[in-house]
Amino acid sequence: MRNRPLPARAVLAAAVLCAAAALLVVLLAPGSAPDDFGARPTAPPAAPGPEDRPRAAEDAEAAGPDGSPGTPAPERSPAAPTAVTVPRIGLDATVEPVGVQADGTVEIPEAPQAAGWYRFGTAPGASDGSAVLVGHVDFETGELGEFAALYDVRRGDTVRVDRGDAPAARYEVTARAVVDQDELPRELFRRDGPHVLTLITCAPPYDEEDGYRNNLVVTAEPAEG
Amino acid sequence: MSHIRKSTALAATLGTCVLGLGVAAPAGAAEGDDAMVSVFHGVPGLTVDVYAGDEELIPDFEPGTLTDPMPLPAGSYDIKVFPDGADPASDDPAIEKTVEVAAGDNATIAAHLSEDGEPELTAYANDTSDVPAGQSRLTVRHVAAAPAVDVRAGGQPVFEGLTNPNEDTAEVDAGTVSADVTLAGTDDVVIGPADLTLEEGTSNVVYAWGSAEEENLALKVQTLSGMHSAPSGVEAGAGDTQAGGNSAAAWLAGSAGAAALVAGALALGNRRRAATVTRD
Repeated sequence: MRNRPLPARAVLAAAVLCAAAALLVVLLAPGSAPDDFGARPTAPPAAPGPEDRPRAAEDAEAAGPDGSPGTPAPERSPAAPTAVTVPRIGLDATVEPVGVQADGTVEIPEAPQAAGWYRFGTAPGASDGSAVLVGHVDFETGELGEFAALYDVRRGDTVRVDRGDAPAARYEVTARAVVDQDELPRELFRRDGPHVLTLITCAPPYDEEDGYRNNLVVTAEPAEG
Repeated sequence: MSHIRKSTALAATLGTCVLGLGVAAPAGAAEGDDAMVSVFHGVPGLTVDVYAGDEELIPDFEPGTLTDPMPLPAGSYDIKVFPDGADPASDDPAIEKTVEVAAGDNATIAAHLSEDGEPELTAYANDTSDVPAGQSRLTVRHVAAAPAVDVRAGGQPVFEGLTNPNEDTAEVDAGTVSADVTLAGTDDVVIGPADLTLEEGTSNVVYAWGSAEEENLALKVQTLSGMHSAPSGVEAGAGDTQAGGNSAAAWLAGSAGAAALVAGALALGNRRRAATVTRD
């Protein structure tokens, strides 16, 4: 029978494709955190004294005898971020403001395409402090989050943050570090010192009970011009 | 001289004259030799001059005003409040009290009415310790000629049974709340409602001042900022795909992909065989 070898060839092809598929799965799930590079700029050593901490009090009027409302507080961030992109690695996420959860950790948006901006801190495009964007690395469905692309980020990659009522803020990646999730530096949330954009997601190792044990922290500094 | 003895007795009764009573000072604050002191004038209808010893601290101080924090060297101050224009060398002060401030303290001295309507001075230590991420510190000081009150936010009691000259404090979620003050244990609103904007990482001190009898009860808010703290962490992984994908879901997704590829390959093989067969 001349057609006998054909099923064998089909089986071979299938085997090759299976191997390729397996390789693909492995490539998509590296299982280890990427290397660190660069150094984060930090705030100059603070010399807190009674003069500067706490800062000068604001004197806000509240209700008079008639209960009239007080002077509204100044708008904290007129230009909230709406999207973040890192074109070279294909990161493209919408950004929504987030706060903290009951356990004190930062809220993380649940949509794979969404990132969160820590709204109590500095905003992207500000002149001081560290503006923090957070995003899930993956989901229970097995789907990867947009911030998983940060595993491929390189020094010099351009980051753009679109803002509501202001021109986009542009940054250049300068550092990446894997840090213990339980010892995430407070400094990442500083509200003074040189302005940086800080992108945070999760990193292996993974623990069945506690999930990821590390955070991947990417630092970008304002781009020249 | 009698007024000095009187003020000493008053201070002892109040028990709040000495500052720095174990209130957590911010880290490093003790490095400076100064204390930060604000003064609130909460005696209705009386413009005053405030002296520290023989030195005029605040001239023409109007009721309802609050000074910015002033750096004062640590030490003991004889605070005297005179009716505006009085001669401190010859006239008796309307209120007098010795206040001690320690280096690193943050304090507010309030000139106000007692529950019975008598002018007095109370020194409060301001809590400038860090506030948990996402929260704001709310303190209410009862410095009004009024009985015990409850303080409500959004209709819910936050502080209950607060009496002159005491204070109560709580850490609450940052945001804007509608606050009012009622007679303790009742729904009789005596102040407000008023919107209070409690910014994250700040300490907000609300003075309930004035006189119930004269129907001029009011609120004054003092906001101290810079007490924010970092969130406790970022838990940004809901699955384990990025860790190597050994969860059932990830394996299923992977297996499904492989199965699809196998099916595709087999289909391809079948098509080739079919083509071969027709060629026969």
